[in-house]
Amino acid sequence: MNTAPLAWVNGSDAPEKPSLNIGYMALTDCASVVVAATQGFAQQHGLTLNLKRQGSWAGLRDKLASGELDAAHCLYGLVYAVHLGIGGVPASDMAVLMGLNQNAQAINLSPALQHKGVTSPEALAQLVHQPGARLTFAQTFPTGTHAMWLYFWLASQGIHPLHDVNSVVVPPAQMAAHLQAGRIDGFCVGEPWAAAAVSQGLGFTLATSQSIWPDHPEKVLASARAFVEHYPNSARALVKAVLAASRFIEQSPENLRSTAQLLSGSAYLDTPLENIEPRLLGDYQDGLGNAWHDRHALRLFDQGRANLPYLSDGMWFMTQFRRWGLLRDDPDYLGVARQVQQLRLYREAAASLGVPCPDSAMRSSLLIDGSRWDGSDPYAYARSFRLHALGDTPDARIGL
Amino acid sequence: MLRILLIDDTRNKLGRLKAALREAGFEVIEAPDLTIDLPACVETVRPDVVLIDTDSPDRDVMEQVVLVSRDQPRPIVLFTDEHDPSVMRQAIQAGVSAYIVEGIHAARLQPILDVAMARFESDQALKAQLLARDQQLAERKRIEQAKGLLMKMKDCNEEQAYTLMRRQAMSRQQKLIQVAEQIIAMHEMLG
Repeated sequence: MNTAPLAWVNGSDAPEKPSLNIGYMALTDCASVVVAATQGFAQQHGLTLNLKRQGSWAGLRDKLASGELDAAHCLYGLVYAVHLGIGGVPASDMAVLMGLNQNAQAINLSPALQHKGVTSPEALAQLVHQPGARLTFAQTFPTGTHAMWLYFWLASQGIHPLHDVNSVVVPPAQMAAHLQAGRIDGFCVGEPWAAAAVSQGLGFTLATSQSIWPDHPEKVLASARAFVEHYPNSARALVKAVLAASRFIEQSPENLRSTAQLLSGSAYLDTPLENIEPRLLGDYQDGLGNAWHDRHALRLFDQGRANLPYLSDGMWFMTQFRRWGLLRDDPDYLGVARQVQQLRLYREAAASLGVPCPDSAMRSSLLIDGSRWDGSDPYAYARSFRLHALGDTPDARIGL
Repeated sequence: MLRILLIDDTRNKLGRLKAALREAGFEVIEAPDLTIDLPACVETVRPDVVLIDTDSPDRDVMEQVVLVSRDQPRPIVLFTDEHDPSVMRQAIQAGVSAYIVEGIHAARLQPILDVAMARFESDQALKAQLLARDQQLAERKRIEQAKGLLMKMKDCNEEQAYTLMRRQAMSRQQKLIQVAEQIIAMHEMLG
C-alpha cells in the first residue's frame, strides 16, 4: 500500500503520483500535451495523463487553482494573473513548468469591415478615430495572451485598446459564431479558430501574433506551485513526457500531419482537418487572397528554444499588466518571475532527454512597435509606451 | 449532517450507540443485524459512514466488510468489545477504517468518525494510484511487445517502429495502445 511515498523517501525518481489530471483548451497549440498523453510518451516516464478538455480559460483557471487539475495547457498571462491575484480569484502561488509553444495566434476582422474596405491597419485606425465609430473586439481572457497581443497590436497602430474600442471575453471556439452574429467586429484568438473563420468566409486575418513579436511566448504547461513542491518527480516526469512529445511532432512533416489528424478528432479539437493542418505547417491564407509560407509559424519545440521558461518571457507579461493598469504598482518583476518559472526543473528534464538548453534565462526580441525587450529594465520598459493606462484603476477597464 | 448506517450486531440489541450518535447530532439509519446484504443496503441508503456495533467481529462480519470495501467503498467504523490484536489486524485488513474497543461517549464520536473518514480517503487515493500504476505497466508491456513484432515484420529499428506505430495511431485518432493491440491481434491471427 505504501510503496509510493516510501519510494520517494528512499530517493527514487519514480513519480510520487503516477496518474495526473491535465487540463487543456481545444487549440492547435495543445498538441504536445495531447500527443504526450495518447502516444505512449507519458507511460515511458511512469505517468498516466488523463486529458480534461475545458470550455473556457476561467474554468481552467479555477480547476488549476483548486487542484482538481494537476497541470494544464495554459495562457502565459493567466498564470501570472493568478499568481499576482489580478482578476476574479485571490492570489495563489503558481508555477510555469515549461513553454508549450511560440506563435500561431491571429487577429481577425469581420466580413462587414472587409466589405467596407477596412482591410489594412491604417484603414482600421482611420475608422476607429471617426466620431461615433465604436468597434468591439473579443479576446479569450482579460489577462491572457490574446488580450495582450490585441492591445499591443492596436496600440502599435495608434489605437488605444482601452479608450478607443470595446473589448469583451469570448471562449476561443465561439469566436466565429459571435462574429457571424454581429456581436463583435474582430477578435484575437489561437489557431485553428482564426483559420476556421477565414475558411467559413467569416472575415479575414489582419495580423498574426508572430508579426507582433516573432517567436513570442504563448502557452505554457502550468500548475499550482504546491504540485511541484508535493510531487517533484511527477512534475519532472511530466515535463520530460511533454518535451519528448514536442520533439517527436517536429521531427518530420509526416509527424506534423499525423498530429493535425489526431487533433481534429472529436475528443480533442473536433474541427475539420483543413482548419488545422495548413497553418500548423506554416501555410497561411488571410482571406483577402494573400497566401504565404510563414517563417514564424507555430513552434512547439524548435530544438528546445520554444520550451525553456525564460525569465524575460514571464516578466514581459507583468510589464504589460502594469502598462494597461491591471497592476497599480510595479511588482518585483525578476523576483516574481524567478518564483514562477521552474527553470531548474526544466533544465533537469531537458538534460535527461539530451535537449539543448540555452545558458541565459533572458532573451532579446524586437517587437512590432520598434521596442526591444530583453528583460534588463522592466520598470522602464513598462513606462516606455506612448499609449498606456499606467494611471488607470484596473476594475473599470476590462470588466474584471 | 453526517449520514450513518448503524448495524447493531450485538447479542442483547442494547442500541448503545444509537442514543450517543443522535445526541452528537448525526442522522442515523438502522439495520437490524448482518443477515442483510450489506453492499446492497449501502447502495440504497448511501451513508457517509458505515458503523458496525458488534460483540466480536466474526467471519460473517469480516466477509461483509470485504464485500462493502470492494463493491461500495465507504469508511467503516467497528465498535466492539473484542481486545484480541489478531482480530483487530484482520478487521483492518478486511477494510475497516477504525477499530474502537469499548467506551462510547457522545463527545468522542465526532473525532473518531473524522479520523475514519480521512483514513478512508487516503486509502482510496492510494488504491487509485496503484491501480493506475498497474495499468500503466501493463500497457507499456503491450506496446513493447507490439514494437518488437513490428521491428521483425518491417526489419526496422526501435525508433522507426515507434514512429510507425504513433503515426498510424495519430492519423486514425487513436491511442498508441490501441494500435499496439491491433498489431498483436493481427500477429496472433496470422501467427
